[in-house]
Amino acid sequence: MMANPLREGLTTRAVPQPCAIVIFGATGDLTHRKLIPALYNLAADGELPPGTTVVGFARRPKTDEEFREELKETTKKFSRQTVRDDIWSSFAAGLFYHQSDFEDESGYTSLARQLDDIDAKRGTRGNRLFYFAAAPEQFEPILKNLKAAGLNESKNGGWSRVIVEKPFGRDLASARELNGIVASSFSEEQTYRIDHFLGKETAQNILVLRFANAIFEPIWNSRYIDHVQITAAETLGVEARGGYYETAGALRDMVQNHMLQLLCLVAMEPPTDLRADSIRDEKLKVVRSLRRYDVEQVAQFVVRGQYTAGAINGTDVPGYRQEEKVDPNSTTETYVALRAIIDNWRWSEVPIYIRVGKRLPKSATEISVHFKRAPQVLFNRNNAELGQNVLVIRIQPDEGISLRTMAKIPGSSLRIEPVKMDFRYGTSFGKASPEAYERLLLDAMSGDATLFARRDEVEEAWAFIDTIENGWARGADPLTFYPAGTWGPEEADELLARDGRSWRRL
Amino acid sequence: MKPTGEQANIGAPVELDSIERDLKKLWADGNGALTRASLINLAVYSEEPGSLAGNTQLISRIMENHACRVLVIETNPLAASDHAQAWINAHCHVRAGAKQICSEQLSFKLDGTKLLTSVLFSHLDSDLPLYLWWQAELRSPLDPQLWTWVDRLIFDSREWPDFTSQLQLVYAAQREAAPREMVLCDLNWTRVLHFRYAFAQFFDDPVSRRCLHEIEQLTVVCGDGYRSTALLFVGWIAAQLEWNVVGETAPLAFLNQSRRRVEVRISEEGSAPLASLRARTRDVEFNVRRAECGDLLEVAGAATGVQSEHQLLPGGDCDLASLVSEELMRGGVRVVYRRAVEKIQRFLR
Repeated sequence: MMANPLREGLTTRAVPQPCAIVIFGATGDLTHRKLIPALYNLAADGELPPGTTVVGFARRPKTDEEFREELKETTKKFSRQTVRDDIWSSFAAGLFYHQSDFEDESGYTSLARQLDDIDAKRGTRGNRLFYFAAAPEQFEPILKNLKAAGLNESKNGGWSRVIVEKPFGRDLASARELNGIVASSFSEEQTYRIDHFLGKETAQNILVLRFANAIFEPIWNSRYIDHVQITAAETLGVEARGGYYETAGALRDMVQNHMLQLLCLVAMEPPTDLRADSIRDEKLKVVRSLRRYDVEQVAQFVVRGQYTAGAINGTDVPGYRQEEKVDPNSTTETYVALRAIIDNWRWSEVPIYIRVGKRLPKSATEISVHFKRAPQVLFNRNNAELGQNVLVIRIQPDEGISLRTMAKIPGSSLRIEPVKMDFRYGTSFGKASPEAYERLLLDAMSGDATLFARRDEVEEAWAFIDTIENGWARGADPLTFYPAGTWGPEEADELLARDGRSWRRL
Repeated sequence: MKPTGEQANIGAPVELDSIERDLKKLWADGNGALTRASLINLAVYSEEPGSLAGNTQLISRIMENHACRVLVIETNPLAASDHAQAWINAHCHVRAGAKQICSEQLSFKLDGTKLLTSVLFSHLDSDLPLYLWWQAELRSPLDPQLWTWVDRLIFDSREWPDFTSQLQLVYAAQREAAPREMVLCDLNWTRVLHFRYAFAQFFDDPVSRRCLHEIEQLTVVCGDGYRSTALLFVGWIAAQLEWNVVGETAPLAFLNQSRRRVEVRISEEGSAPLASLRARTRDVEFNVRRAECGDLLEVAGAATGVQSEHQLLPGGDCDLASLVSEELMRGGVRVVYRRAVEKIQRFLR
């Protein structure tokens, strides 16, 4: 069938199709804080195809009306746009609640009937998007029952897709098992593993920066780049997620997914085209090329830390072990710093330093690319302190890009100091960036998997992470401590100091 | 540097040869608390007496979302001698939390037309594209020097006294700009943008798409004086569906690809540029109409005679500042626009 000729010149992206979005875990935080506000914003911007319907699937008894009222209240709180009554009522007409236990097979049979009914009434034409916002241990019964009800298969020429939220397992074995469970009901083409970092405007801009600007790519290699730092710092502690965090820790919670995804975008080769698999193929090669560490190397190149009581911005905060639902003797890490090496030609022996941590002085996620110093001649001859050029890609907050260069201080004597050229999204563009979930939901509805993680990517990432976890399990790396409100344990500074480097000051 | 009298909102009067120096002073007065931002040069040209103040108000709204250096020019083409006066000003808006983002406006009052290009070229922010919003009638001969610098030409064809001759001049300007691709941004075309989105979305679904070739009747209701807007909309559908115009005069009708007749009815009532649209096949009816609140569109598609549930889509605002803002957000060349114009040009005379 030919494309819609009326779309020519109106849109440059694949057009999403109306569908029924079934959210498992519809009464949870993710649905209220992220998913429904994202869908509402899409509706308000005219991006959501008319007819799009949301069915919330959860245990608690609730009427459609109660569900809508609850969602309206939370959307008012969390939406980036003000909730307008007229738009909300049009949007809310497509919100339904389906009460069932995840294990109850009959709940899925009735869901199938409800979806058929929605197809007929709202024109969703057999298109179904199942969103797993439930705990991972619930995935198996949900998938099994979806399959039994025939909901994993496309119907009436429509499509059936599933979005899986992280964590995608807790190690390679469990990731494989989880992927196997998903694969028993949905093919890889139907499966969308969401990593909201990839939906952020600045993360997408990394590829544009690298491959739409001729000046960067020739110097984007070990000949010119000294090292790269990727930082995700949070002022927050574990808040109400103590129970989950105890089973995860910073390495699994942040490094395995978000940090490695960012690393891939920075380090990948140019893809042959912009198709989802072309990009994901290149990302996969990066993860595969990450040097695996033995126990001694884990001790040498990875630092794990946990925050103790301290102060954030003048306010006292408890230590991790004093947090709610946290074991008072917990050895879970809230901070990780590591030195990764990508064993390929482009990145040969260029260290990629990654640090993530909770209860650090500032919240900031960024990538900084540190270029090699100018040769020690001319201006550099008598001045060993002449700095490096640093290209910083700020992911959040204050999204943007800056480049540090050297400049002469005005005056008769020759003094050289670093200056910063700064581009900020918020300053340059008045239009607010869409939330990551808006972009990702739209992509899943359009069948564009570019910003979703593929099975092999996820498993390779776990294979890398497992070597570190194994090292820790064998006592390679004793837990270190840092007071809340500081930039992490001293050992993290030493990790870079050994290489003659230091962390970028944020 | 206090602005006075009539020029209060266009800023402080300055000597032409000290504009850059006075701009520096203006920024220095901000004590570093202001962030200066600029992504484009936006030149606004008018021959309407007293237009500087009105355009300054428009610019202030546009700058809320678009950081640019603006050059607002009011020309008296009939003046006996050539003379220029200048003012500078900054528009600041709180954005990105609590940051004061500011852009500068340079205003010029020109007697005679000779100084336009030199004044413009002397005050462009280097390396940034030039968007020229031409609010006057285009006249021959065109200054080739000017057009080679223009990246986008913004105009409103609804205001044109003679569509065909003005369009030819626009195309001539575009040829002057070659090999640079000067993008044509007709604000009258922008007026139909949200209706285009709303109508196009009906046919994203492959089943509905078949109906495109079965449309038998189009009914468009536009505001008084907006017949050209409605015609552009109809021209767009006709061009994209490869319909051919039947006859040279009204009533407007087309033959579709299967050589079946498509009747078009355009009526004028109310003040909204486009109020509603109905496309009918034998069995199905697609409706788009502006909702009462004004900035939303109600869309509904259903079998003929069946009451269907409507949905709401953004309808946009149709005031000039909103239209220009919309244009500044969009990129790319306007192949579809040219195609639409070609289809209905003879009716726009």
